[in-house]
Amino acid sequence: MTHDVIKHLLDDYVTGDLAKDARGPVADHIAACGICGAEVESLKNILARAAELPKSIDPPAEAWSNIRAAVERDEEAVAAHDKSAISGFWRRPYLLAAAAILVAVLSSGGTALYMSSRNVAGNSSSSVATNAGGATPATLVAFTIEENNYLRNVAVLQDLLDQQEALLAPETVAQLKASLRTIDEAILEARNALARDPANKTLIEMLSGTYRQKMDLMRRTAEMTRGS
Amino acid sequence: MKTSAVVSDSIGPNPSTMREDEAAALDSIRRAQAGDVDAFELLYREHAGRIFALCLRLEAGDSADATDLMQDVFIKAWRRISTFRGDCAFSSWLHRMTINTMLENARSDRRRIARVLPMDDTSLLPGAARSSGVELKMDMENAIASLPRGARLAFVLHDVEGYQHQEIAEQLSVSVGTIKAQLHRARRLLRERLER
Repeated sequence: MTHDVIKHLLDDYVTGDLAKDARGPVADHIAACGICGAEVESLKNILARAAELPKSIDPPAEAWSNIRAAVERDEEAVAAHDKSAISGFWRRPYLLAAAAILVAVLSSGGTALYMSSRNVAGNSSSSVATNAGGATPATLVAFTIEENNYLRNVAVLQDLLDQQEALLAPETVAQLKASLRTIDEAILEARNALARDPANKTLIEMLSGTYRQKMDLMRRTAEMTRGS
Repeated sequence: MKTSAVVSDSIGPNPSTMREDEAAALDSIRRAQAGDVDAFELLYREHAGRIFALCLRLEAGDSADATDLMQDVFIKAWRRISTFRGDCAFSSWLHRMTINTMLENARSDRRRIARVLPMDDTSLLPGAARSSGVELKMDMENAIASLPRGARLAFVLHDVEGYQHQEIAEQLSVSVGTIKAQLHRARRLLRERLER
């Protein structure tokens, strides 16, 4: 190798990134070439000085109080969001009927009932434009539009289920309340997380999927009660 | 990255196999993930020094910009801490977030990208007054701060922080060859400035 080639390999030689088979010839050249020898010493000096730099430097004392203030503002915003979401969601008693129906669907008997009733279910619930199985919105803006669609469709299904609530036993309603709470808690949890991290696509997918599941179950339940 | 101490390999290791400080760090992470701001403060106290040193060098020694960047990083870390699963060390997670935040800020503020101090005008550098003394390390800090942005990022991340060429290339979305070229340029410029 010539001097012109080797001078471009000196960085890798000094940092140990040079291939093993090239190290010998380069080392031989450095030993014989005053220019390259000086370059190597200079490079080693730079790297040594970089290694001596402090790894830790104290930040200004007020930095943490600024961070804490911002964090606490975040918490207040999330708490306010939680409050409005919870009050809006649980004020609607017809959700309880949907919860009861949901448990029935989840039970093996309910599943069997669903399967047997599926063929006789009318088209009323299918008239609701659902997104079950549809594509997940890629952005928060797209999801927000989609969420409004979910909520509109859920409201239509809830009206339908409300009309059919008399078909369910009271203990079934009570038993299923807990099940629906679990689903709604998952939605609230995902919404809170999304409020903290609006760009998180995984959260958008998760929330979107939970809405789709809820809507799909409500639609199936509406079909089931019609068939029973 | 070569320099980070591993907090844990996962969020749920057997406590009996962990050192006491690792267990304490893991406990702080878990509590912060549950919304405990005091636990997050412990994490801040543990990592702020290293993150601020990195911010200071990434921001060319500008203490105000470095403080802003570090604050942005920790606020973002708080918002995203629930996504930390222990796949890497917490310190590595914070380092990566620091570099990404710096790049995001730079993209949204073109002035930062264009801001390259003239080579011979070191009087404008933050800390230049302090470097009038004889402390060699401060000369080195000023010399790093005076590097063009690309060369400075490559030098700080590789030669100071210990990242590999490939890791830097991935984080900055450039080729390994570009990183090597920027490193060569950075070292050459530093030699010229420190040896004259």
